[in-house]
Amino acid sequence: MKTAVAGKGGSGKTTIAGTLARILAERGFRVVAIDDDSNPNLALTVGVAATAASALPGLPRDLLEQRVDAEGNTRLELSMPAEEFIDRFGLAASKNLTLLVMGQPSHGGSG
Amino acid sequence: MTIVDLEAGLEHLSRGTARHVQTLLIVGEPYFKSLETAHRSFTLAQDLGIARVRMVANKVRTPRDEATVREFATRHGLPLAAVVPYDEAVVEADERGVALIEYRPDAPSVEAIRRLADTLLVDTTDHAPAGT
Repeated sequence: MKTAVAGKGGSGKTTIAGTLARILAERGFRVVAIDDDSNPNLALTVGVAATAASALPGLPRDLLEQRVDAEGNTRLELSMPAEEFIDRFGLAASKNLTLLVMGQPSHGGSG
Repeated sequence: MTIVDLEAGLEHLSRGTARHVQTLLIVGEPYFKSLETAHRSFTLAQDLGIARVRMVANKVRTPRDEATVREFATRHGLPLAAVVPYDEAVVEADERGVALIEYRPDAPSVEAIRRLADTLLVDTTDHAPAGT
């Protein structure tokens, strides 16, 4: 189940996304919570200290590769298996929950 | 399971970053500008062909607030998956630098999000108990 949460700034989407992630993890699902906001705040909501989140290694510039699919559409894909990506860059937030923060300073050039 | 907290606003939706998700939750507050944004997000999501789009009403204080959001959702054919009440516990947890669910796990807002989880799990056709 891949779910994205959208909303105007200040609408409470991060509180809802993070709390939802924690609830699903508490119910026994393996959850990856991804902070895709360039102003990342998800760490606090899932229970990770901001200092721990900002100490994560920056994402490498060659993280994403352009691939052309069968229909000729260009897609950006991870240059490593998703599991490896989660292991290297994810932060254990609570039981069953891993946090990935996309908007780290060295994650440049893909915007 | 993956939960993605998207960039505020519409940019990631219009660029198709959210294209490969099965479910999009659009969070809106019970006032015009927020619901207007929610409607734009809904339209974009439909263009992207996202399978399941649901509205989540947040910071709802009064029955009139709730009615406003329900009327909006009905008018646009956007299913309302949850109504989350305005909750001081959210502000208090934030002030203390702790997660809301740890600060007050039985807070009304948390209970509403639990019900949201129930709704999403019942709805999905491919959920597996221990899968991602």
